[in-house]
Amino acid sequence: MKYAKKILALLLVSVMLLSTACGKKNNNTTPTTTPTTAPTGEATPTPTQEVDMPDITDLSVVKEADGTLFAGSLVSKKEQSGGGEVGYDVYTGNGSKDYTDPAYYTFNDYITDTSTLNWGPCTWETNDDSSILDRISSGYYGFALNSTKDGWSVTCELAAALPEDVTKDYVGKYGIKEGDTAKAWKIKLREDLQWNDGTPINADDFVYSAQELLDPIMLNRRADSLYAGDFAIYNAKNYIYSGKMSWEANSTDGDSAVATWETKVKGSDGVYTTPDGAKLYIGLNTAYAWMSGHTLADYKTYFPEGVYDALAAKADADGYVPATDENLAKLHEFTGIDDWGNEPEDQLIYYLSYQVENAVTKWEDVGFFKTGDYEIVLVTINSTSDPNYFVPYNLSSSYLVKKDLWEASKKYYDDNKREVTKDSANIATITTTYGTSVETTASYGPYNLTFFQADKQITFERNDKWFGYSDGNHKGQYQADKISVQVIAKHETQLLAFLKGEIDNVALQSEDMKTYSTSPYIRYTPQSYTTKITFNTDKDSLAKRGTQILANENFRHAYSLAIDRAKFASSYTSAGTAGFGLLNSMYIYDPFSGASYRDTDGAMGALVGLYGLTFGEDAEYGDLEEAYDAITGFNINEAREYMKKAYDECIADKSYDGTSKVEIEMLVYQSDDIYVQMFNFLNDALKSACEGTGFEGKVSLKMTVDADYYNTMYSGNTDMIFTTWGGAASAPYTILYECYCDDPKGEKNQMEYGYDTAAINVRINVDGDDYIASLQQWALWADDSDPDCKITSKDGSKTLGYFSEYDAMTKANFYGLLEKTYLSSFCAIPMYYRNSASLISQKGDYAITQYIDLIGFGGLQFYTFKYSDEEWEKISNTLNYE
Amino acid sequence: MLKYVIKRILLMFVTFFVIATMCFILVKLLPLPNAKAQGRDYNLVLERREKMGYNKPILTQYVIYWKNVFSFGSGDSKGWTPDLGLGEQMYISQNVYDVIKEKLPYTIVVNLYSIMIAIPLGLLFGIYAALRKNKWQDHVVSTAVMLVVSVPSYVYAFLVQYFMCYKTRWFPLTVASRETATLFSFEMFKSMLPAIFSLCFGTIAVLTRFTRAELSEVLTGDYLLLARTKGLTKNQAITRHAMRNAMVPIFPQILGEFIGILSGSLIIEGIFGIPGIGKLYITSINLRDYNFFMALTFFYTLISLVAGLVTDLSYGFIDPRIKMGAR
Repeated sequence: MKYAKKILALLLVSVMLLSTACGKKNNNTTPTTTPTTAPTGEATPTPTQEVDMPDITDLSVVKEADGTLFAGSLVSKKEQSGGGEVGYDVYTGNGSKDYTDPAYYTFNDYITDTSTLNWGPCTWETNDDSSILDRISSGYYGFALNSTKDGWSVTCELAAALPEDVTKDYVGKYGIKEGDTAKAWKIKLREDLQWNDGTPINADDFVYSAQELLDPIMLNRRADSLYAGDFAIYNAKNYIYSGKMSWEANSTDGDSAVATWETKVKGSDGVYTTPDGAKLYIGLNTAYAWMSGHTLADYKTYFPEGVYDALAAKADADGYVPATDENLAKLHEFTGIDDWGNEPEDQLIYYLSYQVENAVTKWEDVGFFKTGDYEIVLVTINSTSDPNYFVPYNLSSSYLVKKDLWEASKKYYDDNKREVTKDSANIATITTTYGTSVETTASYGPYNLTFFQADKQITFERNDKWFGYSDGNHKGQYQADKISVQVIAKHETQLLAFLKGEIDNVALQSEDMKTYSTSPYIRYTPQSYTTKITFNTDKDSLAKRGTQILANENFRHAYSLAIDRAKFASSYTSAGTAGFGLLNSMYIYDPFSGASYRDTDGAMGALVGLYGLTFGEDAEYGDLEEAYDAITGFNINEAREYMKKAYDECIADKSYDGTSKVEIEMLVYQSDDIYVQMFNFLNDALKSACEGTGFEGKVSLKMTVDADYYNTMYSGNTDMIFTTWGGAASAPYTILYECYCDDPKGEKNQMEYGYDTAAINVRINVDGDDYIASLQQWALWADDSDPDCKITSKDGSKTLGYFSEYDAMTKANFYGLLEKTYLSSFCAIPMYYRNSASLISQKGDYAITQYIDLIGFGGLQFYTFKYSDEEWEKISNTLNYE
Repeated sequence: MLKYVIKRILLMFVTFFVIATMCFILVKLLPLPNAKAQGRDYNLVLERREKMGYNKPILTQYVIYWKNVFSFGSGDSKGWTPDLGLGEQMYISQNVYDVIKEKLPYTIVVNLYSIMIAIPLGLLFGIYAALRKNKWQDHVVSTAVMLVVSVPSYVYAFLVQYFMCYKTRWFPLTVASRETATLFSFEMFKSMLPAIFSLCFGTIAVLTRFTRAELSEVLTGDYLLLARTKGLTKNQAITRHAMRNAMVPIFPQILGEFIGILSGSLIIEGIFGIPGIGKLYITSINLRDYNFFMALTFFYTLISLVAGLVTDLSYGFIDPRIKMGAR
């Protein structure tokens, strides 16, 4: 066996070398967008990573005899220590066009809605909230336009110096072991920090704010910013959940158990307990690791008739059934059947769970503390890879609250939601109005909030107490003295306001493009969102709706091939481009080079395989890149072939009778012109795919308006909808789990109703070994948020390390395989990658015209005005933007 | 009469309670927004929902809700605070009463100005058309009325905005903010005029049509002929007899317009940037902000019930022949 693995590895390497020799593109050698320099100003070359390529001959996802999907093979490489370098040189602007300019400048902006607005650092929700916070706060570090205006540099903001790795000073504390690095970071703070009223800020304010953010009673919405993701602070999560109840599985491996069949104890109420007295429950919705993350509910169709329903009738809202003799016997009616392996009664113990109280964690044990009046230390759970980038990135915002204002903004409530005093013994929850009005807002950023009227206007004016106006490091920045943000709900009004010179930018819609697409003032901004058609694929719910043909994979595949995405995007979006994958080219797989995930071989190969293109000798295209560039996703002849197969299969499995008319319901948010046109386009595409097949003239779409269409799809009460997901461009690997999988604990998130990622086993061959896990588990592993999530090899002898341990290219290759697997079911059809088009006022200019990740076009920070307010007043009547 | 009024008021409260109960139960039956979409650690959201009592039986929640509404002595929330502002509500943590109090005046003022212009013009056009019935003047007025009634209000709102605010620049595109103008200042009035025009077109048209129809019918009555034969001039006959009788059905219509101004206009407020109450209701349902939803339900239900009662009572005052509660 071991020789077989070696031979396989050699074969893989041979294939790799051969494909490299054939001229395959290595994305790591592409020019970087960011020439990097060390703090001293010396140029540092971008490191080139010599990385093994995936075996991209595995283009298609193969369904194996046992139903497992083989996604492909790859050769992995772990991260090299140290990571890349970043630059620290900042663009110093255009002469005196900055905060020193004596003339008065106002930047007029707009938003569409303020009904959910709150900009409390602990409670903010939306992008609009975040944009307010950005103006009134600063991060520890920042990302600014570099001196050559072609990339970003790291800047120190609240911090006075770059973070210092002090991990070795804390060995034996905060979970740090001998030899650990990049876990504890000392941040030296500026000593001239102050609130807008002149109150000084020191390390105590930082520690106080972090403690309040993690308050176990307040349960602040943004608390997870200290414990979710790669830069989770040690014990932060334990502190907020300190003393709370949580569910634990009686057995995590299906082998050992806290309470065995012999040691379980029968309580006076008939419910069994662990030896420690914790009541045991049958967890119907509990995802057990030893069941590959599956739940009993996943298998309810395999239960003998009435058994599952009988248990479910006794379950609480979370699906827990008390472990009594009667209920255990009922469960055994299922686990004892032959199809389930005829398990003996004592193995019922593995299906049980119990509640535990989380240990009490003191604030002193949390990895966030001060070591001086202007010095704090942050200790993380995991080592931070590529710290030169990721530490500043994770500390590019902050969450300071002004203590006196914060305390005054708190309200205390009892169990019955009645307000009580701060000293009450019956405080169930605490809420705050901090950051909901001018009076409850304090600034420590470049601007003060000076006016707020809900659904009308927000005004900011320069915060003279901000350190950046006196430290000499912000030359050429912040020329705007005032920022006025109007709330304008209707696009027509927004456009008129822009043309009248009342606002300084406006987003364009598809109907505006005829007039403004050639305007010299137009700017295109890429977005990290993909809009898709999402299908309900659940046979049972579709059968009730009479649309069970949609459960047929070939039917959906045919429909996918019948859609001309490029035409769709250009006709019905302002600046969208044809979309083929879950992630677009905005997603960066290597932050140092700025290289796109979509350009890696793994990601390109995923889509080339998905859309049925071939490359290489005697193939349609010479190499992978050529094949990738040729993807259109549109092939009507092939679509009809798949539709014929779908028809035959539907007739065979009786999901279609051959004569009935089938109307597939498409839910849309509203029925305005653009939606009607999009619907007609998609309806025509479907009819075209059906031409010459048994479905011809019998299948069509019908449009239904439903403002709550997402929730309707969550419950499987429709057939198809548009969905749009996306995330931070620099964090591509969270998307699959966050957006396309339900949580193992049963929380719904995935829109593709009926496509159960927990029930789909995926095999990936890594370095010659087969690793099999559910697609959900793979996605969770790549998300890197659950330290308990491990993927073991098929023979159980090896375990893949944490996803974060792999180098950038390997991560991209892994993800390409997972993305391909998800899309190969055609439960979701990517339609277009979102981009936005906007007009920029003649009043001023952004620093750059080419969008750069993290800094966009330079933002208001580097915006320069051509006209002061007084001058603009005189000329704004004569503007032409066509 | 008094007995009738008391009976109606009691019935009004019963109806109010039934509607409030139905609305509470129905909105609670809607699924909550997906917790996982609220942030990375959705357990925080679930925990907060547990604390807010979202997992209790609906009827238990309903009892708690009414207890808080009537707990006038404890704290300042009295059930009016949005659901504790724990992450998924609009106007987070802010007092429902305060938010409505801030927004309602804009809605009332714009609508009040609108009907102050619309009522006299509507009556005048209606009377003029009735007196010139079947002449060209009547045809012109009636055609204009038909046009205005047939076109949705947002269409002429956009036309008003385009021509009066953008092309000619007579008015600002949107209503002034509190930062630059107080509610009753001239600047605010001027900025509200495009919205006022857009709102009053419909009311003028409806009143014109109604007045014309009523007055035309009254003018053909025998008692008008008798009045003229008694020696009254035409104007005297119209003002003393015809108008008074025609007003019996018209006046309740005007009264209804006054009461309706409290409800606002979602579309007009959106187009002209009026920070009014128009869209609060829909937003509260979409965001499942239960306390906001219930407060607004109370508000709109009361308006409707009071409007119905006042309109019914007004018949008796205008026309003494109509006796309320008489058998």
